[in-house]
Amino acid sequence: MAVNTDKGLILIIDDEESIRDGCKQALEKSGHVVLTAENGKEGIRIARESKPEIAFVDLKMPSMSGMEIIDFLSRDIPDIVSIVITGYASIVSAVESMKKGAYDYLPKPFTPDQLRAVVKRAFEHRNLKMETRMLRDEKEQMEKNFITFVSHEMRSPLLVIEQYLEALRAVAGRCLDKDANDIIERCNKRIQGLKALVEHWLDISHIESGIFEPEKNPVDIPGIITRSVEEIAPLYHIRELTIETDVSDDIPEVTGDGESLMRVLTNIMGNAAKYTPSGGKVSIRAGHDEYYVSISISDTGMGIPKEKLPFIFEPFYSVKREGEEQKGSGLGLNFCRKIMEAHGGKIEVSSQVGKGTTFVLKFPK
Amino acid sequence: MTAKKKILLIDDDRDFLMATKIILESGGYEVFLAEDGKSGVEMVKSVSPDLTITDMMMETWGEGFTVVSKIRSIEAGKDMPLIMLSGVDLQGPYQSFEPSEESPRVDLVLNKPVKADDLLKHVKRLLG
Repeated sequence: MAVNTDKGLILIIDDEESIRDGCKQALEKSGHVVLTAENGKEGIRIARESKPEIAFVDLKMPSMSGMEIIDFLSRDIPDIVSIVITGYASIVSAVESMKKGAYDYLPKPFTPDQLRAVVKRAFEHRNLKMETRMLRDEKEQMEKNFITFVSHEMRSPLLVIEQYLEALRAVAGRCLDKDANDIIERCNKRIQGLKALVEHWLDISHIESGIFEPEKNPVDIPGIITRSVEEIAPLYHIRELTIETDVSDDIPEVTGDGESLMRVLTNIMGNAAKYTPSGGKVSIRAGHDEYYVSISISDTGMGIPKEKLPFIFEPFYSVKREGEEQKGSGLGLNFCRKIMEAHGGKIEVSSQVGKGTTFVLKFPK
Repeated sequence: MTAKKKILLIDDDRDFLMATKIILESGGYEVFLAEDGKSGVEMVKSVSPDLTITDMMMETWGEGFTVVSKIRSIEAGKDMPLIMLSGVDLQGPYQSFEPSEESPRVDLVLNKPVKADDLLKHVKRLLG
């Protein structure tokens, strides 16, 4: 794809009149529009007004130095390509200014041909830079569209299958024998699993593509813990587990997205339930120190082997456990980590095989 | 013998229409289908249903609330019970829809997919 939006506008900032005029003449001959300024202040004013594509900046000028001008231009004028004009004596500082964002340098004295060659290169560089940016923007947009597309294209058929199963149950449920009804139930279970996977994948894609921005509201930590415990209570009841909470009452609010933090909590509490044998206990504690507000979730479950701990937050990494009936989506903990990172926080884990696992959510104060 | 009550179902997914039709027919209702909002509104006029169930978001003819407004503006639809089904894209934490004061009257909003028992229970209640 060729991008060429260039007006061919060049700005020369130099305190030497002969250089300004010489450059202007040489470049106008090859069809460019040339603006000149005799000092940094004026140069910046013109650059702001006219948004030139290329700027030549003399390094050594009274009042504002070339280095400062380049620093300003590269921050303030989008896609501008700056070139340093320099005497042989100041080659070192020319190199220095390239580190600061100048694209090239032109040692004095130079011929009109040398000048034009540098300009040609600079325009090529600029086009390439803009093309790259356009491609990157396009790629980002495609990613976002893809997520929206998949979101619709994956959820819709799942929903329709569920609705058909409901219809099947409604018309034939009573006529079908137990085996047939069991088959419908199995189908339903697998659909629920697939739905959870799609939802987790979408959550993560939203975060990765930057579509998801966590809300920045004050979050009442004791409140979301209570609500998460209420939400997960039926599961704990079935698995015959006890939940214990210990929340200190002076916990400061954190800033963030209450809904997604609740999902992080229920996710980890759900895992704890899954890997803790019945009769076990899950303890939730919340407190704070000088730096962090923390929530810890500890279970008395089977624990995670030490060598596997570093990988559990990776997508689709699953710690194979004996007698595990239902595999998760493989994205739950990855989701938790991403949400915590989006809050500027982190998630930590420690575990002892046979004794239990503790997850700690930390929010910076 | 009383005539079957008539239910109009509006959704742009034909399979969803079929599945929901089966459920409603199992409850003894006569079901009419419309695949887009425009023909849905036409059918309110021509069929005079006792109840309408419509998708909240439809791609073809504005979103569901536009359809509801149009239905409410015609005589046959003014006082008719109306159920709105919230579509797939409304689930999840990223999109939410809050009906405002100005939204046309909707008697009930249900999430898709709908449990057969729930749907039949609500329909029966709304048809009084």
